[in-house]
Amino acid sequence: MPSNPQNILQVQNLSKSFLGVKALDNIQFDLRKGEVHALMGENGAGKSTFMKILMGLLKPDSGEIIFEGEILKSNSVHENLRKGISMIHQEILVVPELTVAQNIFLGRETNYRSWLNDKAINQKAQEILDLIGVKINAQTKIKNLSIAEKQMVEISKAISNNAKVIIMDEPTSALTDNEVTMLLKIIKDLKAKGVAIIYISHKMDEIYEITDRITVLRDGQYIATKNTNELDKNALIALMVGREINDLFPVNNSKKGERIFSVENLSTKGKFENINFEIKAGEVLGIAGLMGAGRTEIARAIFGLDKYDSGEIILKGNKVEIKSPEDAIRNGIGYVSEDRKALGFIPALSIKDNISLSSLANFSKAWFVNSSHEHEAATQLSKDLKIKSTSINQKVMTLSGGNQQKVVIGKVLLTSPTLVILDEPTRGIDIGAKFEIYKLINQLTDKGIAVIMISSELPEILGMSDRIMVLSKGKQTALLSKHEATQEKIMQYAVN
Amino acid sequence: MLNRLRQYGIFVVFIIICLILSFISPQFLTVSNWTIIITQASINALLAFGVTFVIITGGIDLSLGSMVAVTGVTAAMLAHPDTFPVALPIFAGLLAGLLMGVFNGFIITKSKIAPFIVTLGTMTIGRGLALILSKGRPISNLSDSFNFIGGGEVLGIPFPIIVLIIIFTICSITLKKTLLGRYIYAVGGNEQAARASGINVNQVKMAVYSISGLLAGLAGVLLTSRITTGQPNAGAGFELDAIAAAVIGGTSTSGGTGTMTGTLVGVLLIGVINNGLDLLNVTSYYQQVVMGIIIIGAVVLDSWNQKKD
Amino acid sequence: MKHLYSTLIITVFLFISCSQSKNAENSGDKKIKVGVTLLSMQNEFIVNISDEMNKKAEELGVELISVDAEHQPLKQIEQVESFIAQKVDVIIMNPCEVEASSPAVTKALAAKIPIINVNSATSTKPTAFVGSNDVESARIAMKYIAEKLGGKGNVVMIHGFMGQAAQIQREQGAKEILKEYPDLKLIAHQTGEWDRAKSMDLMQNWIQSYGSKINAVFAQNDEMGLGALKALQDAGLKDKVIVVSIDAIADALQAVKKGTLDATVFQNAKQQGAGAIETAVKIAKGQPYEKELMIPFQLVTKENVGQFLK
Repeated sequence: MPSNPQNILQVQNLSKSFLGVKALDNIQFDLRKGEVHALMGENGAGKSTFMKILMGLLKPDSGEIIFEGEILKSNSVHENLRKGISMIHQEILVVPELTVAQNIFLGRETNYRSWLNDKAINQKAQEILDLIGVKINAQTKIKNLSIAEKQMVEISKAISNNAKVIIMDEPTSALTDNEVTMLLKIIKDLKAKGVAIIYISHKMDEIYEITDRITVLRDGQYIATKNTNELDKNALIALMVGREINDLFPVNNSKKGERIFSVENLSTKGKFENINFEIKAGEVLGIAGLMGAGRTEIARAIFGLDKYDSGEIILKGNKVEIKSPEDAIRNGIGYVSEDRKALGFIPALSIKDNISLSSLANFSKAWFVNSSHEHEAATQLSKDLKIKSTSINQKVMTLSGGNQQKVVIGKVLLTSPTLVILDEPTRGIDIGAKFEIYKLINQLTDKGIAVIMISSELPEILGMSDRIMVLSKGKQTALLSKHEATQEKIMQYAVN
Repeated sequence: MLNRLRQYGIFVVFIIICLILSFISPQFLTVSNWTIIITQASINALLAFGVTFVIITGGIDLSLGSMVAVTGVTAAMLAHPDTFPVALPIFAGLLAGLLMGVFNGFIITKSKIAPFIVTLGTMTIGRGLALILSKGRPISNLSDSFNFIGGGEVLGIPFPIIVLIIIFTICSITLKKTLLGRYIYAVGGNEQAARASGINVNQVKMAVYSISGLLAGLAGVLLTSRITTGQPNAGAGFELDAIAAAVIGGTSTSGGTGTMTGTLVGVLLIGVINNGLDLLNVTSYYQQVVMGIIIIGAVVLDSWNQKKD
Repeated sequence: MKHLYSTLIITVFLFISCSQSKNAENSGDKKIKVGVTLLSMQNEFIVNISDEMNKKAEELGVELISVDAEHQPLKQIEQVESFIAQKVDVIIMNPCEVEASSPAVTKALAAKIPIINVNSATSTKPTAFVGSNDVESARIAMKYIAEKLGGKGNVVMIHGFMGQAAQIQREQGAKEILKEYPDLKLIAHQTGEWDRAKSMDLMQNWIQSYGSKINAVFAQNDEMGLGALKALQDAGLKDKVIVVSIDAIADALQAVKKGTLDATVFQNAKQQGAGAIETAVKIAKGQPYEKELMIPFQLVTKENVGQFLK
């Protein structure tokens, strides 16, 4: 492929393997000046390996990267940064105790004379923040900023670096709608200034709103590069998963049983108040609301992770006291947290050990774990949930996000719950795995398990729920049936 | 195969050091010398096994040495000839250790103060208690039956070695095969997630500090019996050897990983080096330098191996 | 007028009686105040010195303020500073370190408060010194070994903590004697850190490498001597090896009596403690005193052990 002068970055025949397994196989990619280029693919498709190579974190086995017409040979992040390749990370990497300005110039303080010169740094940082239209004071400490603001700081850092290529990896996964709008506007401004952006996201709306071209990877292979306006959503999904998914939300025909769980006047000061709902066996109750509306807080209270101030939790007609997750699990409540890394799994333990963790006592006699029973159960679940791994003894930290989520769900299922709370069950996982999780929800309700699903994605809430509770600022503003609910109605109640 | 070798990196280091020593010193590879190495290592081993549990949960126990002193003095006070049956001083020593361990666990779980600080406190308290109990003087004139624990032999095997084997087996099984063992890894690997998985994190922590105290008690009794006196200043710095052994053996101080076999290799490595340097009559000054280099070297090697994974 | 006169008499009388009672109180208050800072109360020998000081102080009606420097020279200096601030009459210091504790002496002398060093020395000369010469103790011990072996044989030496004054002086004394006996060979020496368990391990390792070549062990204190002794007994070698150490602590005296430990060297803690208090009282009362009160060492063997056992 001849190098095109329009391209700021061109990647040819890039390959990389880990311990004999090909993570990237002959990747082709080109990036034009002033372009927003989406990189799409399921988790495990090779996107992050590819980005790590571009950043200089990993060295490719073969192939070359041509940056501004020259072959990029370095394998140091620092050098690539200096040349103008920056990355906004999925997990934000700013130092909380330093100020915004100090973070922006972290590691490059010496550019502004040999002594630390806070005044010069503050001034320069403020200029950049104003330039991208962010209302943040350069002298605030990072710890006082919201996640969105931290991201803006990261972007400012990239700009201050005279970045010519900015890689954004799931930049909106933790942002509110307003913040997303602002970020997208900033991206458009950057683009107008000639900065090229590689944009990784699972959110289709964003992809269609801001990207010019889309490159799809699947299983480490290069699949295609298309202009965004020539590729419709279904075709894109087909390219990503290698097959057509006609209806993302599988039909749920589960029979609804008796009421098995309800809360009455549940309140915790400053978080939520007077929450009332009930749920029947085999039913899916969706909880919608903006960030900070109290959705996760309610789930945490029901599961015993936090104390609640007043109200009652009634399980199968009996009032229950839940003071710890231990109590909750014993009473048949399972919780899949939105924060998979912090609350979901033990990274250094195996798939088997994680799956059995909550129900280990059931596999034990007089303190001793019956490992053959445990092994059997974990193998079965791993198969049922289609967890992709070399064996069930593989450490969970080496799995992709979707597979990690399946492990967490497996752990909850093994406790034989009557109620499962899924908090943002599909956040940060790819379409194929999302679809599998939706199917799984239906399998649960088929078995008569009640499901509470908290989600920020309205199509998901509408597609999966039998009833939808909407929260706004800690208050319950609506309880809608599947038939009466629409995206507009939910949003109205959510901003109420 | 390569992976296996990496996993046992420290074991390979251990074998290499043994080979080198057996080339330089003809006395090194003899049954009698190894009997001595293992006997001498037994006290550090008991402490290291205990602290391995603690470190896997992400904690640390700095009070081990002081607990050895308190429990040793306690046992010695009750071990004079013709007073009590020998079971009593042993039991009292173990109980004293257990109580101090429970105290550590209680403060750590109730106050949420870092284990480093809490056990630093009990380290000082323990040293004071040992001096108070003994009035600052060694307690000697202990009964023969008591002195058997540290100095006696069964079928030609020194009793401390038998204790070492039994305790190693119990600790190893506890860590690998029991609920508690799995929970210990879970708490150290991700405490929040462990709690959200329904594990009573505080109970697990109480358990590990109690076990650590109990084993320190056993070490105290063994040491007292071995030197036939209860010494209030015994055990100073023992905690560092024990922690070093665990770390050399692959237990990560950030929690979540570690094995008893690794710790045992760590303990033996330290024992072998001490013994070897004495056999070669290396000056004390150099001994300390060599030991330090080996500790750092072992850990560096281990972290390289882990990075490659 | 008469009235006035009687009033005056009564006033004067009251005044006198008052001041007299004040005087009486003063002389009671005038108890000599002595500040004592000790190397470490975890050391049995120092505890013995301290006990004797307390006994003597009570006998002579001296008020003692005793503190423990816990092996830390800096702490010791701070303790002496606080004695100076409390305006004690005399300071007694059992120095942690030859050099590092010297500033304490300088400070006390600058504040015109007499200071007595007990048991070991500092590089700055104090008002008075009460103690024994550590070099001498090792000479006595090594001389005993040399005579027992007929001036010929292999010796191992167990050091205390390397670099401490007692270790340096005891090593010096031992080496002086070794020089006098060219056929007496020092085949190995290592630190046992003053610790019984450590020297037991060390001795076991030596038995492995030297076996029956070792004829005698010199340990720089009794704790280590007893550790080495235990190792030799376990190996069944005690009958062939002479073990000598220093300090004559209770356990060591028992061992000498039993005949397991061949000899120890008695450093007279009682006389050092009592001597220090007596010297302090003499200085406080302005009486003549000895600038260097040397308490002699005594070799303790099975023959004379009786007189040292309580």
